[in-house]
Amino acid sequence: MVTRRWAAAGLLVIALGAGVAPAPAGPVEDKLIPLERYATPKARALASAHRLQLLKYSEYVYGCLPWLDVQKQSIGFQRPKFAEGDDRYFSTWIVVDQKDDPQFAAIPQPRRMSAMFSRFGMDLLRRMATLHEVVADANVEGFSVVTSWLKPGSLAPGAQPVNESIAVFMDKKTALDYLERRITAAELTTKVRSLAFDGQKDLGVIPLEIWDDFFMATFKVPNYEPPPGVTC
Amino acid sequence: MRCRLIGSALVFSIAMIVSGCASSEEWAEWRSHSSHFASGQHATFSLRNREGSAPRVARSDIDVARSENWWGKAITVSPDQIFQN
Repeated sequence: MVTRRWAAAGLLVIALGAGVAPAPAGPVEDKLIPLERYATPKARALASAHRLQLLKYSEYVYGCLPWLDVQKQSIGFQRPKFAEGDDRYFSTWIVVDQKDDPQFAAIPQPRRMSAMFSRFGMDLLRRMATLHEVVADANVEGFSVVTSWLKPGSLAPGAQPVNESIAVFMDKKTALDYLERRITAAELTTKVRSLAFDGQKDLGVIPLEIWDDFFMATFKVPNYEPPPGVTC
Repeated sequence: MRCRLIGSALVFSIAMIVSGCASSEEWAEWRSHSSHFASGQHATFSLRNREGSAPRVARSDIDVARSENWWGKAITVSPDQIFQN
């Protein structure tokens, strides 16, 4: 399983390194945070320096993980709300396409948050960690992935649906220690910072758990063909 | 009498715990789920592919299916609640 996971990461490295043909500018480029949205010179410098890498990463996610919808203007170098200084985290915000599933609905909300982050957020983080130039940049403090999905049971007729979201931040050392198996998932859980939301309601600290989940390494959309030039 | 009260309390507690949690079967079912794609989207793909030809799903098909199955803008946390620029 671990080998399969790293094989997937390896394919991403190959895809990024091979100089994949540019995909349609819209759905790939509009996922990046535009330069003018950054408020500090440090953030703008990071975004300029790594723009090409971020574009290729965005293209890879768009082409190879079509069951995820990346939020517009979400890939970039974000500063968490709780940061006192200008700490910049390499970030992605995904919305997971998911049907309203009774089994999933029966799981308590904190467990749903843990499950969705373990399944989708951790996989994204693993792929983000393969962007070596970004990771090696001393001005990148760590990684953050926001994962959102439709709250079970919120599709009632006449009511506005609600998304649940979990935002997880981890510093580079912690992330790499976990990905390279120097620390366990249980240790990782104690070192990350998370923010959980039910719609726009801040749920405060939830008992987040992280575990290995290999769904993303094996799931394929039947008969799917990636866009021309994209290697998955 | 006292034993009966303690017994009832125990049964009630177990019932509360079980009702508040997913059963292990439900949890196992979700964990083993091979597809979380909305089933309607698969139907859309099927309609677009002609019978007899090898079915193909392009990224643009998924974008179209996603917009067709869109159930309205969901209430979602604002980026400002998580990040500062």
